[in-house]
Amino acid sequence: MKNRPTYLLFVLGLVLCTLLFVANLSLGSVSIPFFEIAGGLLGKGFVKSTWETIVMEYRLPKALTAIFAGISLSVSGLQMQTFFRNPLAGPYVLGISSGAGLGVALLLMAGSAFGWVVYSGAWGIWAIIIAASLGAILVLLLMSITAWKVRDSMTLLIIGLMFGSAVSAIISVLAYFSEAEQLKLFTIWSMGSLGGTSFGQLKGFSFAIFLGILPVLWMLKSYNAMLLGEAYAESMGINITRLRWGMIISTGILAGSATAFCGPIAFIGIAVPHMARLVFRTGDHRILLPASALTGAIILLFCDGISQLPGSAQTLPINAVTSLIGAPMVIWLILRRNFSKEF
Amino acid sequence: MALQESILTAENLILGYHKGRISKKVAENISFSLEKGKLTCLLGPNGVGKSTLIKTIMGQLPPLGGKIQLNGKGIQQIGTKEISKKIAVVLTEKINSGTLTVRQLVELGRIPHTGWLGKLSEKDQFKVNYAIQATNIQYLADTLLSELSDGQLQKAMIARALAQDGEILILDEPTAHLDLVNRFEIMHLLRKIAKEERKAVLVVTHDLEIAIETADEFWLMQCGLPLVTGLPEDLIIRQEIDVLLPNDKLTFDKISGKVQTLNESKVMAIKGPNPMNKWLALALKKSNISPLSEDTILEIKESPFSIDLKDKNTFQSFSSIDALLVFLKKNRE
Repeated sequence: MKNRPTYLLFVLGLVLCTLLFVANLSLGSVSIPFFEIAGGLLGKGFVKSTWETIVMEYRLPKALTAIFAGISLSVSGLQMQTFFRNPLAGPYVLGISSGAGLGVALLLMAGSAFGWVVYSGAWGIWAIIIAASLGAILVLLLMSITAWKVRDSMTLLIIGLMFGSAVSAIISVLAYFSEAEQLKLFTIWSMGSLGGTSFGQLKGFSFAIFLGILPVLWMLKSYNAMLLGEAYAESMGINITRLRWGMIISTGILAGSATAFCGPIAFIGIAVPHMARLVFRTGDHRILLPASALTGAIILLFCDGISQLPGSAQTLPINAVTSLIGAPMVIWLILRRNFSKEF
Repeated sequence: MALQESILTAENLILGYHKGRISKKVAENISFSLEKGKLTCLLGPNGVGKSTLIKTIMGQLPPLGGKIQLNGKGIQQIGTKEISKKIAVVLTEKINSGTLTVRQLVELGRIPHTGWLGKLSEKDQFKVNYAIQATNIQYLADTLLSELSDGQLQKAMIARALAQDGEILILDEPTAHLDLVNRFEIMHLLRKIAKEERKAVLVVTHDLEIAIETADEFWLMQCGLPLVTGLPEDLIIRQEIDVLLPNDKLTFDKISGKVQTLNESKVMAIKGPNPMNKWLALALKKSNISPLSEDTILEIKESPFSIDLKDKNTFQSFSSIDALLVFLKKNRE
């Protein structure tokens, strides 16, 4: 477990992450040379002041958002896959993202029906974040009550999926009755966006990630025990009830905040933990947790780079890119190895 | 024999669980004393409550009545964390975590003893290595679990339980799905662990023959009856082993050491050297063939192998048991 490749992989990963980070800053409708950015970030100052504005005001927050969202979605996906012992579990299965979606849908679409015009100007973004957080917390509370009543993990998983479906249905109903303009706003939100987060919001986001990852550090050992299933974990003195609560709270905060700040982003939560397992060749969560976080940051930076459509003024929605890259990757993973055995 | 050291005792235990306000009784009149350095086999039909008993021993299920004590302290008063340092288990549940190596699996056994991050101390490493050596799987240490055969996996699971270093080792049907050689190997390994490590090993099994050969103590469970405990040989001589066979068509044959059908039909007289006539008798018994007439005699000869069938008006020689059976069946019709 303490063999060289693991360290080497982490070093390589960090280098790759840094390169992608700088590359991400240099890409966009205005192309800024790679070394200019590196120099500017290291404090040498930018040649043009417009470059500085573009990088510091727009691209830096966006690249940081990509890293934060990559970390939070991957870490919550990893926890769910281990806890539910299901290779297809992800942040969406407990309905947390759908809950956030419901919050935003209510704000944007139902709001207009009652004549509220909440979405306007700079406050609009905060309103969306608060609505998404409230929606995520609501579903989280429902799930917690369920988890308290239901002891079986598989039942919890199915109930989570059902919550998700029910919430999606409510959103459809809202969408059906809403006006075209509101519908478009919601549709754009649901495509996800890494841009549009200010430094102030990034502070909130990073604090949420800190809060979400903290309990995971305490549960790493329990997650390792869960590799053998609940019964064995219990025989090794692991408190399953406490672990379940910890998992729900941690994934709720992580996936909930990522969805609140960036909208729903598909596939990262499912695909990244598998990639980390494949690359690092281990089931040990003491390695998998940082490995998933790092891989998540790399992948989302990469996807964001692609969504910039280098060389053009157009951008693609991030959700479309993660799906276009993520779906074939999951298929490839399944075909390449004995997926369920590897897990 | 070393002095007896009982570690787990139960008196008039009633097993069961609560479902809402109704409590469902699974078994009662369970009294036993599990001893260190002994291999104890728990036998009984499916659904009699063996798994419930194990859960109760592990403190996961409170008993509906009676007393169960670990080292003189009530199980329910001991926390699960403390129990996990005393009792290690090998369950029937299938492990499908392919990303773990055997060594990593065995290291997981140290979880109750390590700190919050699960870092292994020198002592932990020593216990892990020891468990791997004791189960003879050094050559598998770096193999992934997904690449192991069922027998190898079972040994790795036993090594994990051994690394957990409790005084009690409980195994739920460790030899199910294994081939004959592996079944013997596992049971002898468990016996060795009981003797050399002075652990109390409790094995749930349906494998009566291997259990008789390896166990120091039998616990027999049967619906509606109190738990029967004792030395396997004593239970056999007292015919108490028949507790396992409530069906009156089956009995435990003391001579062969096997469960047999009570077959009242007449058996033909067989002459000949011992191992061969035993198998011939079994073949005749299975196909339920009665003698052609009162004075039919079968004689089996060793070299060259032949079976002679004699009575008043027949003399026939066969080169295999199969040929004889074909003849007898045809003659009966």
